[in-house]
Amino acid sequence: MTSIESDTEVAARLEFEETQRSEGWRLLRAALRMQRRNLLLGALVGILWASFKVAVPQMTKYAINDGIEKNGPLLQWALIIGGLGVLTGVLSGMRRYIAFRESRWAETLFRERLFSHVLNLHVGYHDKAQTGQLMSRASSDLMQIQGFIVMIPITLSNVIQIFAVTAILFITDPILAIVALIPLPFVNLSARRFSHRIHPASIAVQAEQAQLANVVEESISGVRVVKGFGAEQVQFEKLEKEADDILRESMKAARIRSSFMPAIDVLPALGLVAVLGVGGHRVLNGDLTIGDLVAFNVYLTLLIWPLRNIGMIVALGQRAAAALVRINEVMSTPSEITDPVQPKTLPQQTAEPVGAVKFDKVVFGYNPEFPVLRNFSMEIRGGESIAIVGATGSGKSTVTRLLLRFYDTQSGHVFLDGIDVRKLKLSDLRKHIGVVFEDTVLFNDSVRNNIAFAKPDAGDDEIERAAKLSGAHDFVLQLPNGYETVIGERGFSLSGGQRQRIAIARAIVANPRVLVLDDATSAVDPSKEGEIRDAMKTVMTGRTTIVIAHRPGTIALADRVILLDEGKVAAIGTHDELVASNARYREVLASMSAPEEIGKVN
Amino acid sequence: MWSQSGVTDEDRLSRAQARTVIGRVFKMAAPFRKTMYVAFACVCVTTLCALAGPLLVRRGIDLGIRGKDPTSLNISVGMYLLVALIAYVFGRAQFLYLNRTGESFLRVLRLAVFRQMQRQSMAFYDRNKAGVLVARMTADIESMAELVQWGLLQFLAAGMLIVFALVLLATLSWQLTIVALLVMPILIAASVKFQRDSNKAYLAVRDRVGANLSALQEGITTVRVIQAYAQEEETIRKFTKSNRELFQSHEHSVRVSTWYFALIEFGGVFASALIIGIGGWLVHRGDVTLGTVVAFTLLLSSLFDPVQQLSQLYNTVQSAGAALNKLFQILDAKPEVDEHPGAVALPASGELVVNGIDFTYSGAENRALRSVSISVGVGEKLALVGPTGAGKSTLAKLMARLYDPQVGSVSYGGIDLKMATMSSLRERIVVVPQEGFLFNGTIRDNLRIARSSATDEEIDAAISAIGATDHFAALPDGLDTEVRERGSRLSAGERQLVALARAALVDPAVLVLDEATSNLDPGTEAEVEHALEQLMAGRTVIVVAHRLSTVQRADHIAVIADAQVAEYGTHAELIAKGGRYSALATAWQKSQVTN
Repeated sequence: MTSIESDTEVAARLEFEETQRSEGWRLLRAALRMQRRNLLLGALVGILWASFKVAVPQMTKYAINDGIEKNGPLLQWALIIGGLGVLTGVLSGMRRYIAFRESRWAETLFRERLFSHVLNLHVGYHDKAQTGQLMSRASSDLMQIQGFIVMIPITLSNVIQIFAVTAILFITDPILAIVALIPLPFVNLSARRFSHRIHPASIAVQAEQAQLANVVEESISGVRVVKGFGAEQVQFEKLEKEADDILRESMKAARIRSSFMPAIDVLPALGLVAVLGVGGHRVLNGDLTIGDLVAFNVYLTLLIWPLRNIGMIVALGQRAAAALVRINEVMSTPSEITDPVQPKTLPQQTAEPVGAVKFDKVVFGYNPEFPVLRNFSMEIRGGESIAIVGATGSGKSTVTRLLLRFYDTQSGHVFLDGIDVRKLKLSDLRKHIGVVFEDTVLFNDSVRNNIAFAKPDAGDDEIERAAKLSGAHDFVLQLPNGYETVIGERGFSLSGGQRQRIAIARAIVANPRVLVLDDATSAVDPSKEGEIRDAMKTVMTGRTTIVIAHRPGTIALADRVILLDEGKVAAIGTHDELVASNARYREVLASMSAPEEIGKVN
Repeated sequence: MWSQSGVTDEDRLSRAQARTVIGRVFKMAAPFRKTMYVAFACVCVTTLCALAGPLLVRRGIDLGIRGKDPTSLNISVGMYLLVALIAYVFGRAQFLYLNRTGESFLRVLRLAVFRQMQRQSMAFYDRNKAGVLVARMTADIESMAELVQWGLLQFLAAGMLIVFALVLLATLSWQLTIVALLVMPILIAASVKFQRDSNKAYLAVRDRVGANLSALQEGITTVRVIQAYAQEEETIRKFTKSNRELFQSHEHSVRVSTWYFALIEFGGVFASALIIGIGGWLVHRGDVTLGTVVAFTLLLSSLFDPVQQLSQLYNTVQSAGAALNKLFQILDAKPEVDEHPGAVALPASGELVVNGIDFTYSGAENRALRSVSISVGVGEKLALVGPTGAGKSTLAKLMARLYDPQVGSVSYGGIDLKMATMSSLRERIVVVPQEGFLFNGTIRDNLRIARSSATDEEIDAAISAIGATDHFAALPDGLDTEVRERGSRLSAGERQLVALARAALVDPAVLVLDEATSNLDPGTEAEVEHALEQLMAGRTVIVVAHRLSTVQRADHIAVIADAQVAEYGTHAELIAKGGRYSALATAWQKSQVTN
């Protein structure tokens, strides 16, 4: 830790954490309120179960005193106890079912709300957020909450059970009750302390396991380096250290377990010893019946689990609250890019071609202090195609992102068909812009569904037409199940060029006013690019197209070329004009399309 | 304290497999067998203590209370107290010893599996997906940790408790034991059914959890595309569907356990009703004492609880068995490329000769190389060019013995690489892969991957040999800069420099280079270029080339096409020949001109 917090800072932080925590509880209460009726039912069932459960030893006592000792009606008592068995069985089943169902339901709804919130958050948020972090909000954190909710009905019946048993013991014999109960609060105390101490210990074990996983992961991914230098022993020693660390931390956890678990087991036995000793003498003195003594024994065993559970629920509750705070951090982040209050609509297509794009003195930087676009202006007529050329980091892709309104400009405006993009409904704007991104993202789904992504109800011929235009149709037919082949991370793996062609087909199906091809053919084999180029010409006809490319052939498709340099438009003209007149253009082009891989030019 | 687990039918071990697995576990646990025996003894003692409690209550009631003998009562109480203390002491010991046994076993297992994985040749890594191998070393072994921490203890204790409790009950009263056993068959049948159903339910939940997590992850990682096409609602709809399916599988799994636990609860009370009813009658007849009846009601749970615990643990034990079986398979895999007995060291320098080799990747149908012969003299530079997938990288890998050819041989200085010691092989011939792969740690640590015994001076010398001293000195902590995960703190060019410095540290006679296809930023590009030249000077070099500039600098060029050497010669010779190479060269030059 390099920074030392001042008192006021600490106070502010604590206050912040406090608001966060109360906010977490508020969220939990709101979620539980929706399931109020079922949870109350669960509690009721739990209370009934507890009362019957408590009645069993009472009946056992009568059976011993009345039935066995005094030769009374044995069968009757046995039947009563058996009947109670049926009731407690059914009720405990119901309690369990309700508790688990409701807790899973709360978890399910929470996850859906979280997912839809995250999906609607602005891109700037996702730039900073780590996938793993968001994933653990929606999985392990929700599990903590589920683990807490499931305990609610159980805890309620446990509390009732403890009160009822204690009351019965005191009514039967107050002195013996006090003697027998003395060790029991320690069960609760131990369980609570155990939960507190074992939690950080298991986290430490997990942390060591993660470190070992890192070594394993890098040794396997980097196996060529390891083998190439014969570094097996080096990696083995690293692993050995991590394995030793795991052993050490696990044994720490084991020591914590060993100091609490046997105590939790033995403490109730001390109560039983006390009952036998003190109670036995009281029976001998005639102050107590044998039946009472046996019932006392049974009652004490009935207290063990509830006391343990209540000890643990405190810790569970704290962990759930901490999880809620983390979830709340995500849920309370508002999306910075939202629909306007009174959205305008895009003009209908008339004789004039639509899809006019205008950037007016746009200033924008991902970090406002370092603008990427500085006073950037350009105008694209409806139906025109334009290529944006610039060195790495000149802001080419940023233009696309601003057009999609992934971000808002710091100053200046972006217009689609004469309307400021900020005045349009997001879905309206984005449905009219089809982008093929640089890093082709496909979904783990069939080829068909991937192409029809923007228009799930697209017909077969529409999909095939798009695939043909993007040059994907032929290879798709070669796939094991044609258009039904599942591709993506866990499906059939396609080459970079194939992926890009599917992504282009996806953009074509969307039938946008503006088509943006952001380095969309970079991974396509040059020999195939010729084919795609022809197809692209067809798609581009009569449609506004923005091409970000570095292959001269692709650039030449565009009506005009914009040279982007240091966040500004440096030159505009046709490809040939710029090649002829602009030295910087030639330079940028040369630096980008550095030596073609001759291996591919067969 | 039980978390669900399960095992699929295909992973379930047969009886014979289970025996083998158990046998091997004991063999691996041999070094800490003593700890294991002590743990076992402790479990015995605590189990006996658990049973002694109710017996002492019986003694107290029968001899002390009903026999009206206060001394006897006091003795019973004293003994009970003693038993509780013994249970506590041995309870602590059993936890420690059992955990030490289990965790030590996991440690030995981790080390053995990892060492064996490291011994495997490249072919093994081609065959097995990296994710699966990582899972074997992490998730599969960790899944056993819970068994080690809780399960093993419970399993042992439950088994012993059933046996001891039965013996004890039978000695107390055979009549009442029969009564108690009347309930047992129902309990066992229910437990077996529950174990099967819950296994199935668990597997369904596991699949749904996996699908749900994938849907979640896909949604988060593809959010930009989803937003760009305004498909948020559709995606949420799909996710909700998968999420609801997960809920349903959870609900089903709860239902499976609901009836079982209800039955267990009922069974316990029902059995004590039987004991009271029939036992009471037996007391009236004078066959058993009241103390025995009371002891029986207390001991019943010692009989029923273990059955329930065993049925729950059964799935956990089975899945651990399946995991162990998979790990043992890795331990049994024979490395394909290994040091030959009687291997000799390679000479300091010599000619690298490829002599009529055939090579097929395991599992592949076609040969990747067909009767390839080529030789590289001392200090000679050979460039391998050709279309992707034609076999040039494969040939380079065979020249460094990352694989062994099926036919023919690769020799260095007259010695077949198969007969060379691994250490001399790695010292003479070094492969520098395309991407500079970095490990967690500092830059210095990353260089030591190449030679763990290298001194700081030797590392400085290696850095200076490739002319990168100034570059790394400019980093915040110089060579002690932490590169972070996968070297994310360094640029691609810097990572490449580290890879080259590693090679310089080994100072090999032969360098096998796989030239990078992607471009670096212009600044470091020049530096990497310079480092490469420094490194190549005076060494034999085989380079898988993607750039004409590199090719032109080579002494000889081999064009690899269709798994064979299609053309071989100097740049000038091959251009003059007007074949494949000259076509490649022309194509390259043309793209230069259009630019």
